[in-house]
Amino acid sequence: MSLYPQSQAYSQAPYPAHGYGQPVPPPAAYHYPPPPVQPVFHVDPSIFRRDYMTRLNELTINSRPVIQSLSMIAQDFTRYAEIVVQCIETHIRRVPAWMKLPAFYLLDAISKNVYDPYARYFTPVVVQLFLETYEQVDQDTRRKMEEMLLTWRTGAPNGRELFGVVPQVAIERQIWSGDQTTASSSRHPSTSTGISAGQVLSELDFVLGQRERALQSNSYDKTAQNHVAVLQQLRKLVQAGVSQPELSQILNQLRALAPPAAVSSQPSPPPAAIPSYSQPPFAAPVPAAYPGPADHVTHPAQVQSPQSPYPSTFDGLKHEPVELPALTSQTLPTPTAAPAASAAPPLVVNNITNLYNALLKAGVVSASATPTGAGATAKAEEATENVDPARAAAREHRKKVLSQKVKLTSTDINKQRSEIVHFLYQRLPTQCKQCGIRFPEGSTAKKNMEDHMDMHFRQNRKAGQAVGRGHSRSWFVSVEDWTHDGAIDGKGKGRANGSRLVTSSAAQAAETAQREAELRAMFVVVPPGDEAKSISCPICKEPLKSEFMEDDEEWVWQNAVRKDDKIYHATCHAEALASKTSLAVRLRNEVSSRSRSLTPERRMRTTPPRVAIPLDGGAKVPGSPSGSPARSSTKRKAEDDETSGERTPPTKKLAAEPA
Amino acid sequence: MSGRQHAEEPQSEAASAGARSREWVLEPETEYRFELDPGTSLIIKLVCGHAEIFGAELAEGKPYAFGSECKGAVYTWQGCTLEVIGQPSTEYISEETPMSAYANVHMALERMRVRALRVVHGSPPSSNEESESDGDPMPPRVLVLGPENSGKTTVCKILTNYAVRMGQGWSPMFVNVDPSEGGWAMPGAISAASLDSPIQSSSPASTLGSTATSAPMHISSNSLVPITYWYGHAETRRNPLLLDRLIRNLGENVAERLDNDAEGRASGIIIDTPSSFAASSAANDHRQTLIKACVDAFGINVILVVGHEKLNVEMQRAYGNRITVVKIPKSGGVVELDAGYRERVRKYQMHNYMYGEVIEAPAGLGAGYLQAGEQTPDLTHRLAPSSSQVAFGDLTIYRIGEETMAPTSALPIGAARVVSEMQPLLVDPGQPGSALYNAVLALLAPPNPDESERYDEEVLDLPVIGFLVVTQLDIPNRRMTILTPSQGSLTGRTAIMGSLEWQE
Repeated sequence: MSLYPQSQAYSQAPYPAHGYGQPVPPPAAYHYPPPPVQPVFHVDPSIFRRDYMTRLNELTINSRPVIQSLSMIAQDFTRYAEIVVQCIETHIRRVPAWMKLPAFYLLDAISKNVYDPYARYFTPVVVQLFLETYEQVDQDTRRKMEEMLLTWRTGAPNGRELFGVVPQVAIERQIWSGDQTTASSSRHPSTSTGISAGQVLSELDFVLGQRERALQSNSYDKTAQNHVAVLQQLRKLVQAGVSQPELSQILNQLRALAPPAAVSSQPSPPPAAIPSYSQPPFAAPVPAAYPGPADHVTHPAQVQSPQSPYPSTFDGLKHEPVELPALTSQTLPTPTAAPAASAAPPLVVNNITNLYNALLKAGVVSASATPTGAGATAKAEEATENVDPARAAAREHRKKVLSQKVKLTSTDINKQRSEIVHFLYQRLPTQCKQCGIRFPEGSTAKKNMEDHMDMHFRQNRKAGQAVGRGHSRSWFVSVEDWTHDGAIDGKGKGRANGSRLVTSSAAQAAETAQREAELRAMFVVVPPGDEAKSISCPICKEPLKSEFMEDDEEWVWQNAVRKDDKIYHATCHAEALASKTSLAVRLRNEVSSRSRSLTPERRMRTTPPRVAIPLDGGAKVPGSPSGSPARSSTKRKAEDDETSGERTPPTKKLAAEPA
Repeated sequence: MSGRQHAEEPQSEAASAGARSREWVLEPETEYRFELDPGTSLIIKLVCGHAEIFGAELAEGKPYAFGSECKGAVYTWQGCTLEVIGQPSTEYISEETPMSAYANVHMALERMRVRALRVVHGSPPSSNEESESDGDPMPPRVLVLGPENSGKTTVCKILTNYAVRMGQGWSPMFVNVDPSEGGWAMPGAISAASLDSPIQSSSPASTLGSTATSAPMHISSNSLVPITYWYGHAETRRNPLLLDRLIRNLGENVAERLDNDAEGRASGIIIDTPSSFAASSAANDHRQTLIKACVDAFGINVILVVGHEKLNVEMQRAYGNRITVVKIPKSGGVVELDAGYRERVRKYQMHNYMYGEVIEAPAGLGAGYLQAGEQTPDLTHRLAPSSSQVAFGDLTIYRIGEETMAPTSALPIGAARVVSEMQPLLVDPGQPGSALYNAVLALLAPPNPDESERYDEEVLDLPVIGFLVVTQLDIPNRRMTILTPSQGSLTGRTAIMGSLEWQE
């Protein structure tokens, strides 16, 4: 009698992860052993289908590990993509409403991370599936689905709509067309053609969420603090109710804001800005670095600074809202009026602040609550919220460790029994199934775990993409870079991609060349009647070449970008922008606290973007008019040497002593 | 070495496709030990339970590959079942391990870390726990000493791995001052790197993890960014004065880095040393100086002596008044390694630096195994070095001190050395007998561009940015062919040769 349950419990013990209490046919669990851990061995499509279905059934709650493992299988078995898509579709249709969202997250993860061929296969079914599900689920889930939908706008690797424009617009029209499905706090019921407060609110929440996450990962970021504060205020406003034109204004601005934050939250290449849906989509091939047309035809786009390493904090440099005349003066010249150090923050925050100012001007917002005031409050709140869990965990750990009375003496070492197992295993219940690394409980740790899983995914994808390219051992870094690496990475954050410091020179050169090519591919359509007019770039004074584009049957200026109604060479403009960026970087570092009192020029050296390693003597882009990478590289090299030289003589003295 | 065949056949399961697969059931606190012959490999899979290799936990169900004469042990605190595929020359289960002692050492070090971090954070002492502390809590800075084959490197690995596994975000600094080991870099080098994920063990070619490559890696200990100095010889007695200076250079850089990183500083330093530091023969009068160099350079506050009573007493006498000196037991699993094995391991390391290493799974097993925790070793562990021809003049090559040098004591009384041990001597590749052919050279970071700041022995203080091997010398045309880890111009560079050679 007593033997049976015991032995049963024992035989189950190694497989606690595979639940038996699921709504799906429990008998199956007895017929088949739990699914093998290694998916590598499936071959037969029908077995694969059965297996994938079984695993899908484990997805009852929003569990990142389960979703990750399911998408990894999907990635490994792209030849069964159709089966995967069918399984997920069936699953979503079949399961009760409360289980649908996790499955949608899986769909989302596979489509974004693997993309090809999955996004293609999902496209035909996604609209129907989304709308059906949206009908069935509760208000909370709907909001989450809306958030997800917003990320689909730029979800494809090239920054375009994940499933194409048509499905995206189809879904958005359906769910935001009337106000029957959206939050009903609006005092102004939307007209059939207008924008509902609900739509604005959910987009606002989305951007707000991104900013808050950015703030969490870098709680000292004043820009993010201000952003969050302003956005929160906006949210209150919209909830209280604003007029239709204001709503559309907010929405337009929000959309201009969204992409850079998306870069920081997704491992995909920098997505382009979102094309406005009220216009027909831009048909010409748009290079990824080109932010696409903005909402107003008169000022199409700005060059996205290709070198900016801080996508989320330097929005201001990329997407300056052009209709505000006050700003136009800032687009190219460096700020001179204010003292250098204090000029950086306005440069950085102007994006959201301008949105706010625009509303202020429109009389929507009262000037009593200034964004800085709100920012300060938000900062204080965030600080207490963010620091406490980590500190509390450290305190907890300290208490527990200090309760282990082990002293560093031979007797203690050999006689004592410490609770090592508790520290190594039990206190860290969540384990990465890929590499065995463990994580503690709690929200901070959960985020770390998620980042960790994302890292695996990214690395796998990179490894797959790099086939045939050939890898090589990197050169070691300079003393300066090494001694400051710990301070920059903080708690090893950037360490997961440790090769960041030592990108091979070939990859660097390729990257530079690609950026160059992208810039050169940019063009501006010649206004009708101006075909014969010859204009020149304000920066280099060279004339712009005009050409007839066969595809669009239009005259265009090649390698051109329009900025404040002036046409620049895209390459010249990018270079000018890059030099401004580095100035901003320098200013930013000026503000940030670093214990050593280095001059700004030297600080700049330790911040990305890292140009080629000194060894190869600079990047080589044949025919590059800018030549700036090479120059900056040599410059930095010189600075490196300078400091290492300053440092070494004491070494000599020190080392010469013992003899 | 290759002749030993232990005919162990435990619970043998049906062998699949020629690969011998069997299951080992381990009781709590026991370990499965294995040794591999040259050219063989092994797959170990954790079927159930929990297990770790030198402190790095295994993921359940993942096949881990081992090769290149790897000698290892899978330890379990709670008990586990392992599936082993392949043919090790020796395999057995041991119930006697020093793991609980090592765990106690770790807990004691962890106490030092949390105290040091408390000071960094400025939190008040929480309770009576703190009363025993002596005012100024310092993070652990540990020097591990021991004779040959005592498992020093393993102890360092376990202590480092346990630290990063605490879930506290520790990133201890691992320093290797054993030039015969080479660590991440190459034999002949000493180096330091900060670790934030467990060091994996799969092959003696990368015992301490690997330095960064252009390939994407899952485990950060496989893409380390070390600071490295080149000593150039495997034996410490070749030029102790030079090693002393390099240790101090290394220590200075580590200190500077930790000055910038308060939390990293609280994680502490763990230093692996050469066995010659422990051998007390008359010919080793330099070892006290070198130990002192380590103690000074890294601010050592704990010395661990692995299984050597006499050394323990000696250290107690020398440092007992200001440093905690503790003797810790040696593992019975340590394999006595002969000179031939050490020579082969050096070759594996050099080969690994240039070409990477992909362990071939035992016959009959497809892809899909992990090597050092990496999921696609065939994509990421195969490296392509670059071979190029350079003119003699492109590269300035030095040798430090004279090739063969009699000890100072052997010189006639009153006679001074003509060439000091520390003097950089220019090597002319055009001269026959330069010994450059097949020599391993360390490429140095660029010297000071400011001529006035330069000094004669500057090359001694420049860190290494990479290693080269001279594969061909064409004296008539004054050209040589060199193998470099990746592409890049060498013109105007300085390199230092040592006594290490490598050829395929």
